Amino acid sequence: MDKELEHSFVEQLEEHQNIVHKVCRLYTNNQEAHNDLFQEITIQLWKAFPKFRGDSKFSTWMYRVGLNTAITLYRKSKRRINTSDIEPVQFMIKAEPYDDTEEQQLKLLYQAVHQLNDIEKALVFLYLEDKDYREISETLGISEVNARVKMNRVKTKLKTILNP
Amino acid sequence: MDELELLKKDWQKDNANFPKLSYDDIYKMILKKSSSIVKWIFIISILEFVFWTVIAFAFKDSKSIKEFDSFHADYLIIPLTVLGYLVLGYFFYLFFRNYKRISVTDNAKNLMENILNTRRTVRHYVAFNLVYLVIATGVALFVQFDQNPDLITMSHKAAADGNLFVFYAKFILITAVFLVGAIAILLFFYWLIYGILLKRLNRNYKELKKLEV
Repeated sequence: MDKELEHSFVEQLEEHQNIVHKVCRLYTNNQEAHNDLFQEITIQLWKAFPKFRGDSKFSTWMYRVGLNTAITLYRKSKRRINTSDIEPVQFMIKAEPYDDTEEQQLKLLYQAVHQLNDIEKALVFLYLEDKDYREISETLGISEVNARVKMNRVKTKLKTILNP
Repeated sequence: MDELELLKKDWQKDNANFPKLSYDDIYKMILKKSSSIVKWIFIISILEFVFWTVIAFAFKDSKSIKEFDSFHADYLIIPLTVLGYLVLGYFFYLFFRNYKRISVTDNAKNLMENILNTRRTVRHYVAFNLVYLVIATGVALFVQFDQNPDLITMSHKAAADGNLFVFYAKFILITAVFLVGAIAILLFFYWLIYGILLKRLNRNYKELKKLEV
């Protein structure tokens, strides 16, 4: 394929790679799985890139392809360890050392998010990325009202997981 | 503070925490092959089309079919054959049209729907083949009983011995075993496709559909 296209793609993805990393963090529980999903999202982005017309931002376009790959196209490889028992601690960021309570709370929050189903994770992801309900509904293909309702349910579910 | 707000604050300051992949790392990734379910669905669907076409050709070349051709049954065989090819062409066209509609840049629900539609086309084609197989077997049995001189002699002998029912029952039983075998192969395909490939997709699609209610 066109070298210029390749160059332009790789350069933009290099710059915005954290979006892909964040999707991987939500949908996987270990480094190997993370790399595997990262690889698949990159391939899907690259395959779709010739049709990327630039009428939306590269990053916005990445959210859609990244989430679609994670919740629809991605096939967990067999060599993957079943990670449901492994705590996603390795993806935790260290909170400010002086605030132990907050760090603990964040740890529990990340664990709670990992217990959500794929669609709920997608909602949380877009919410954490500060996307409005219009964009969330367009990305998932549901109405704005339903996106709001579901988001509220997810918040309640998270509360229940955190305070059983 | 709302739990999610706390998480959001943390999530957004987290940018520097991931391993930073270099230009070369990413370049190497785009040269690799995808292992997405769409690729697998495409391969397995094509295999299903090939499987049924090969089955049809294998039967055509078999000794019994050549013998069958000597009977006067063209009025039944030709329409059945033409119908088989027309339907194959139609389903193949539908399959590619649906496959082309799968786009990773679509919204999640449409993407899932398009993938499921592609699968549905192949499933309908396989169901058609099953019905076709039953009809064709029925026609073949009828023509055999009607025109095969050996069978006619045997049936007359069985009738004279008072065993006509057992004679017919034996043939029908053998045919039924053959059909059950074919259905078992079909079920294997479905176990393969739905059990392994589409489990996650179906689950997520149902979850999205549930939101629409």
